[in-house]
Amino acid sequence: MIFTTEMIQLFAVVLGRDSEPVTEALLSEGVMQFIDVAELEFEGSEKPPTVEPQASLAEISDLRRRIEGFLHTGGVIPAAPRETDLKNRVPVDFQKEKDHLDRITSERQGIRERQRTIQQEVLKLEDIRRQAELYGMSLSDIALPAKHSFISTQIGKLPTSNVKKFEEALREFASLSVPLGQDDDTTHYLLISIRRDNAHINDILEKLGWSKVELPGELRSVKKDVFKEISAKLTKLTEEQKALEAKVDDLVKKEEGYLKDVWVNLRVTELFCRIQTHFKSSSRTVVFTGWLPASKKERLTEKIRKASQGRCYLEWNEARSKDVIGDDVPVQFNNPKALAPFQMLVSNFGIPEYGTIDPTPFVMPLYLAMFGVMFADLGQGLILAILGIVSACLLKKDLKKEGLYRLSWLIIWCGASSMVFGALFGSFFGMGLFSPLWFDFHGIVSGHSAHSSVIKDVYDVLSITIYFGIFVIALGLLFNWINLIRGGKWTELFFDKGGIFGAWIYGGGIYIASYMIARNYKNLPDGATVLLLVGLPCILLFIKEPYHYFAHAAEHAGKKSNLILAFLNFLMEWIVELLEIFSGYLSNTLSFMRVAGLGIAHVCLMISFFTLANMTSGIGYILILILGNILVIGLEGLSAGIQALRLSYYEFFTKFFHGTGKLYTPISLNSEM
Amino acid sequence: MAGPLSKYAFINAKLRARISKIVPDEKFSQLEKAPSIDEALALLRETAFAGLEQVYSATGDLRQAELGLLKNEIELYRDIRQHLHPESVELVDALLTEFEIENLKNAIRVYFDRKLRNRSVEAAVHYILYDRIINQIPIDIILNADSFDEIAGVCEGTPYSQIVKKYCHTVESEGSLFRMEIAFDHYYYSNLLSAINKLDRKDRSIALRLAGVEIDLQNINWIIRLKSFYDLPLEAVLATIVPGGFNLNAAIIDELYRVQNVTPVLSGFVKSNYPGLSALLASATSDSTSRLLLIRRVLEEVMKHEVQRILLGNPFTIGIVLAYFMLKRNELDRIRTVLNTKFYGKETPTD
Repeated sequence: MIFTTEMIQLFAVVLGRDSEPVTEALLSEGVMQFIDVAELEFEGSEKPPTVEPQASLAEISDLRRRIEGFLHTGGVIPAAPRETDLKNRVPVDFQKEKDHLDRITSERQGIRERQRTIQQEVLKLEDIRRQAELYGMSLSDIALPAKHSFISTQIGKLPTSNVKKFEEALREFASLSVPLGQDDDTTHYLLISIRRDNAHINDILEKLGWSKVELPGELRSVKKDVFKEISAKLTKLTEEQKALEAKVDDLVKKEEGYLKDVWVNLRVTELFCRIQTHFKSSSRTVVFTGWLPASKKERLTEKIRKASQGRCYLEWNEARSKDVIGDDVPVQFNNPKALAPFQMLVSNFGIPEYGTIDPTPFVMPLYLAMFGVMFADLGQGLILAILGIVSACLLKKDLKKEGLYRLSWLIIWCGASSMVFGALFGSFFGMGLFSPLWFDFHGIVSGHSAHSSVIKDVYDVLSITIYFGIFVIALGLLFNWINLIRGGKWTELFFDKGGIFGAWIYGGGIYIASYMIARNYKNLPDGATVLLLVGLPCILLFIKEPYHYFAHAAEHAGKKSNLILAFLNFLMEWIVELLEIFSGYLSNTLSFMRVAGLGIAHVCLMISFFTLANMTSGIGYILILILGNILVIGLEGLSAGIQALRLSYYEFFTKFFHGTGKLYTPISLNSEM
Repeated sequence: MAGPLSKYAFINAKLRARISKIVPDEKFSQLEKAPSIDEALALLRETAFAGLEQVYSATGDLRQAELGLLKNEIELYRDIRQHLHPESVELVDALLTEFEIENLKNAIRVYFDRKLRNRSVEAAVHYILYDRIINQIPIDIILNADSFDEIAGVCEGTPYSQIVKKYCHTVESEGSLFRMEIAFDHYYYSNLLSAINKLDRKDRSIALRLAGVEIDLQNINWIIRLKSFYDLPLEAVLATIVPGGFNLNAAIIDELYRVQNVTPVLSGFVKSNYPGLSALLASATSDSTSRLLLIRRVLEEVMKHEVQRILLGNPFTIGIVLAYFMLKRNELDRIRTVLNTKFYGKETPTD
């Protein structure tokens, strides 16, 4: 758990005829992170050619993405293939599937086209309605339009045989034709249009034999409510629009089953081809190599042997072995599920290098301790934990929001820590309802704590955080040494800022500071002690630059060297390094005082809200306390989380963690798309 | 007088949070690869543009969705305006004027097509904004007007009335709205520069620099249009230039328009001010339109650099507001471009 998962490299040779079942076995196991074929080194000048998959990977991916996009429009997200899908894989007829997709896309396009046409009708009718509403029209009596109206109304008749042409021609304009009745071979209409189109419309009407008439006596009783007419037409068109919209959804639903099957088949084929792009083939054999967790070695060996019926050569190389191909060993975290939220914090900073310490198990207690001190309250912690639980329950099944799900768990952990520290400090929603298990933080800040407590004032609280900081920095230094020893980096072990000499200076500095504090800042330790604790490691650090210079002398062998200049250079580098060590360690340690600072601020805010509440009574009192608690939970909770993260990243991680590793990403049925 | 911290602390925090929600480049790459408009809109579901899909699914009409996008953009300016210190409000009003002018131009184009070109305008009238932006302009009356006098009349009390009166005869005699539209643009920029000049010294220098780069871009866009569609003589082109450009003044534009090789002219200011853009100048250009397109490309990159410079600089200036508007405009332009190319089944132009 402290170190990342142990990895092993497989170098395999199988017969060409076995490449299909072996690929299937590799995909089914899903544990191999392949090394690019270009990285494989072969003896001799001619390299074996890469295995050509049956279909182009790009072609498969394009079609898969196209189907995915189509399904996505209907809100359908296909699930990753299962093992049975791998077994039932069948060749894909690309042309057939493309034609099928073209057909349904074109069907959808047709529906959209029809929607657009209807929308134009809707917009025209809305234009008439808007103009009538804005500029007026005496509708009930079908009288002359108001003075500023852009609406043109006219009543007329035309031969019944021309009615269809009449309606077709008017479709181009914003207009409404209301049939008023039929008389022998003529039909009467009330025509409402926009004045700007009059010239065009009159031309059309003239061609169709339109003649303006007074409203015939027998039809005078027909008082059409034009607004009602427009509304009815709009409702009808809107319903048509909805039906068409539903038709598009139905189209996706109808095809969903079939397209999902094709998608799964394509996805399996795509992964199959992706594995095979890492294969190199000679006339009869296929070669591939890659990394996997050492614990999977036996099972994969068995699977490959079974798939190739024993006709294979498998060579296993441990990560540190000189026979390993390629430089980068992928990194797999090795933490229990409960640590997932803290692993997220670590991977946000970077991936640890292979073989170095994974700080996740240490981040958990350190982060929670810092958060707890900054946000110590049993009641507020409980609220935080409940919020986290609700959020986690809501996000549990949403694979796309895995990050938020982990964040919810982090909130649950933070809430729990807050509750623990709330119990230790005796705080429940800012009230001292019970005796503190450790000390009364509220009492100390407000100046009325019990004098029997070990912690008497805010300076004691600040001291605790300084000690905590020293512990965290010391832990970081220890991890750095372990990493350097495991990596065989002996020079860095001594000369690195976080190496033995740097730590010696830091330890000496701590001793001198505590000696002075114990003597009221009046005395320093004697000269010999200071020299031994700080002077000696400083002098030893001077060796670093000359050592590097002479160790790499071969690199600048041809260049003219000036020893005086080189010495001045060493001196400058040494002084800068010492300044960095002194200022760096001092600021790193003091930085932890923010933990106490935020804790004090939390208490002060609660005291302020109680003071405000005490100025009122009844509902006002309760409201102020509720709002105050909401504000503190939101604001302080966020800042405590950020500060704890900042301290972890910049004061702890920087001592030993480089974050330059590469995450282990095997090709499996669940691989990201 | 309010200090920069009290003026910009809140809006700076608010806008930086909003900037983080701007659609990232990876999403645009996905959009470009989407096989059709439906798929492209589905990709925007989890962004601020989710509403576009709803409109398109209900109507099949992309222009309707784009109109909604425009309304949202105007609302965005208004929303930010209400969070600004009174000293900076006038600048946002000046920026909002651009939307009003563009809308007015569209309405006048409809009138022009209907009345002077005798064309059907039915498709255009539904995609114009009828709501008030800054001034009360009765767009309906402009669309249905019988003459420019009527348009000028209804615009009385706004700065546009005089422009319409001044250029209506030119438009009628030339059969083109070009002069009037240029005059509207000139008004917009002079109004913008006047609002900028009322800001305090630090804000003014930042805003002038950014507006100057935008004016350069606008000038180049006009010149490309004039060169491609009107083939006007250089003197006429220079007369259209909006004053106040940052990198390109009339003399440089004159030179750029004439010379065969624009690289030495451009490299003068690019190398000294934007050394990272020198690589762009390596592109070979054969004709004058390609040269102008190259200049536009360079100026677009210059604009991006200026926005980045502001975001990395002092956070408590008007720069953050202007940078946000620029980033949003860029985002919206990209969304419009990619959706239109999908709608019309074209290939998305790559940067």
